[in-house]
Amino acid sequence: MKEVMEEAVLLFLLLVIYTPDAQGTRYSPPGKPELTRCRSPEKETFTCWWKPGSDGGLPTTHALYYRKENSDTIYECSDYHTAGENSCFFNKNDTSIWVNYNITVVASNALGSTFSDPVDIDVVYIVKPNPPEKVTVTVMELKEWPFLRVSWEPPHKADTRSGWITLIYELRVKLEGDDEWEMHLAGQQKLFNIFSLRSGGTYHVQVRCKPDHGFWSEWSSTSHIEIPDYLHREKSMWILIAVFSAFIFLILTWSLHMSSHRSLKHCILPPVPGPKIKGFDKQLLKNGKSEDLLRVLVVSDFPPTTPSNYEDMLVEYLEVYVPQEQEVLLEESKDLHDSCLKFEGSTSDNDSGRVSCDSHTLLMDKCGEAKEEGRQTDQEDSTTEAEAQGQQKDWDQDTLMYANGDILSPEKSSGRVKTWPSVFSPLPQYTLSLPDQTSSLEMAKQHCYSDSLFCPGSTSSYLTHLGNNDNETLGPGSWEICLSNRQPYSHIPQMQTCQQVRSHSDVNISTIARKQEPAGLPLPFFRPTAYVEVQRFDEEDMVVLQSIVSDHGFHEGFPQMLQQEDYSKVKGVDSNNMLLLQTEAMKEDGDGTTPHKPTAHIHTVVSTQDEMAQPASGYVDTATIFTLPTY
Amino acid sequence: AAEARWLTKEPLEVNYLLQVRSVLLYMVVSSSAVPVTDLLDRASQRSDKLHALSTSLSQELNSHLPLIGRVITPRPSMCHTAALQTPTDKTQTLQLSEANLLSLARSLLQAWMDPLVDISTSANSLPHPARNIISNQVQELQEHSKSLEDGLDILSRKMGPVAQTISFLPYLRGNDISQDRISSLINLQFLMSCFRRDSHKIDSFLKVLRCRAAKLQPQMC
Repeated sequence: MKEVMEEAVLLFLLLVIYTPDAQGTRYSPPGKPELTRCRSPEKETFTCWWKPGSDGGLPTTHALYYRKENSDTIYECSDYHTAGENSCFFNKNDTSIWVNYNITVVASNALGSTFSDPVDIDVVYIVKPNPPEKVTVTVMELKEWPFLRVSWEPPHKADTRSGWITLIYELRVKLEGDDEWEMHLAGQQKLFNIFSLRSGGTYHVQVRCKPDHGFWSEWSSTSHIEIPDYLHREKSMWILIAVFSAFIFLILTWSLHMSSHRSLKHCILPPVPGPKIKGFDKQLLKNGKSEDLLRVLVVSDFPPTTPSNYEDMLVEYLEVYVPQEQEVLLEESKDLHDSCLKFEGSTSDNDSGRVSCDSHTLLMDKCGEAKEEGRQTDQEDSTTEAEAQGQQKDWDQDTLMYANGDILSPEKSSGRVKTWPSVFSPLPQYTLSLPDQTSSLEMAKQHCYSDSLFCPGSTSSYLTHLGNNDNETLGPGSWEICLSNRQPYSHIPQMQTCQQVRSHSDVNISTIARKQEPAGLPLPFFRPTAYVEVQRFDEEDMVVLQSIVSDHGFHEGFPQMLQQEDYSKVKGVDSNNMLLLQTEAMKEDGDGTTPHKPTAHIHTVVSTQDEMAQPASGYVDTATIFTLPTY
Repeated sequence: AAEARWLTKEPLEVNYLLQVRSVLLYMVVSSSAVPVTDLLDRASQRSDKLHALSTSLSQELNSHLPLIGRVITPRPSMCHTAALQTPTDKTQTLQLSEANLLSLARSLLQAWMDPLVDISTSANSLPHPARNIISNQVQELQEHSKSLEDGLDILSRKMGPVAQTISFLPYLRGNDISQDRISSLINLQFLMSCFRRDSHKIDSFLKVLRCRAAKLQPQMC
């Protein structure tokens, strides 16, 4: 009875102990383990890890078995501890490469054992090195800019020296507190420089490596580095630069502002020159009293009586240049914008109303005694025209043409030819001066006398001057002085200029063989005397002058007068409407206007025009001729 | 001149700039004998690329292989190049002479010339979703192999008669042409796994050679 009672108690106790477990502790064989990974750090050894399954409630042991490729021998792992728990470490002796391992893990407990799934691995495919070692980070300076130099060494186990493992490296940097890293691939080198740093910060640097056909290692432990404070240095420099440039900018704007009141405005927008006539009163014009206006325009003090004044006035020289045969150069000074000197290279055409050189109608040096009215010279030479245009000056100055010193005595040295004054009262004095340097026909300039005297087509007479009175014809060298009241030719550009100048002038025209003859024009071609007579009156009311082969005494002076300057000067207009021309015998006379000899009479058929009422028309007002005082 | 030509040969890059660079390099190099280190460096670059290509191709094939295929994949010991005795660990490898290493590399490479042709053929008719990609990669593989072979040929002439010895590894063609789709796929994958390993061997040998030859340039190793 007692025994039965004891057995019952034992059974009861067993039941009590074992049954109250709610989950029902049932021992079972262990769960299936699982090989998680195998890794080799240097291609010489490797480790495999597994994850055990449930243990089935019983103490479970695990074992790893492996089989190599070509044999059927099963080996068990010899080292379960080196690599930690649930691991198997294959040492060098057990490791073969380029050989497939078939690995299985077995979990065993009291109730049974469970095999894992086999895994085939080849050691060369599972290489994951250790992180690089001895990572050093230093701050270096390159021209005051800091940069980081990171250096490291390969993991000590990896044999890179023999080429067994080839490693490539990568590092990453970030500022303390940042979330994102900056990655840099370093290749096979073990040194790396990082630029573009921010001063005054602390940087974290890490390095890792990877074999040529393997896995990346873990990141090395973080290296901290602090960049010294270059901040204030760079910032202060920028502040200085900013302040300085602002200062300069202020100065510039201030100076601009100051200059804008005066000179800047003038620089950008120069004032448009307006016509100014001495004595011209706008108010009079507005008032409509033309008579008063004209009266005013008749300048009483022209020509200037005192020779000393002439230097105050603008000197205009009309230089007639005769090509080839004549080397008469008439050159207008640049002030002579308002005088047109037409230099025609060819024979005159009918339209122009000019007389060709052949006609010898001009009051050139030859026609010393020829008297002529003031002429208007038209120059068709485009070059001179353009030049004359460009030479327009202020009206104040340009209206004054002065006879160069002595009207009747041109300066030989200067080679000036005094243009005729023409009898025109409004005509200013022109001096034709031969430039020293002119040497060719091409240099003949068109000078359009702004007097409108030179407007071709005017009703006044045209004068054609021939530099050479001799057999040579001034084919190319003829020039004309047009005195016309007509409408100016269209090709004369400066119509408006013709209106301006009204003054008397004794113009001495002479063809001068310049003292230095640059073009080698034959000096002998210059004739000392040119006699001009009015040949005819053109249908255009032009005075056609013809040089008269003179029988004057001057002719014999031909050769000698080569070097001399010949002047033809309009002495005046007599009552018979004749232009008195005279040649200058005394060149050095200076101011004297003593006529040498009237050499020719020019019969002028001048028709008075209506242009008298148009003082500003630029035409020669023949009517005014008669009113001109002779001198 | 031949080595210079090989050095500058870029089989796959059609890039014009690269070609220009190659021409310039050729002109520079052809004027003098090319040092072995440069040749080895170039060769190891080629072999590295070759192995990378084979790895990617192998993975491409594996990803689409049905599960059953993995089970019955032949073992690598059945590769036709298994007959060639190659080192199995680092110690053995480093004991080999340079000429031996080169000879092994060349033998392996040579052994794969014909199989690659087969692989290319079967890849073209592969019942595989990524057939074009695979086909292109196989094409690349072939070109790189050829280029590497030429380079190693040039190298071997500089390294003596032993280096010029090539072991002949016969390749037995697949049994039938009329294999079923799974079988052809499995076969292809098997071949690729063999090639992947062999290309890794070649690469390892050449890199060991490179480091040995570059004793004056420790930074390379």
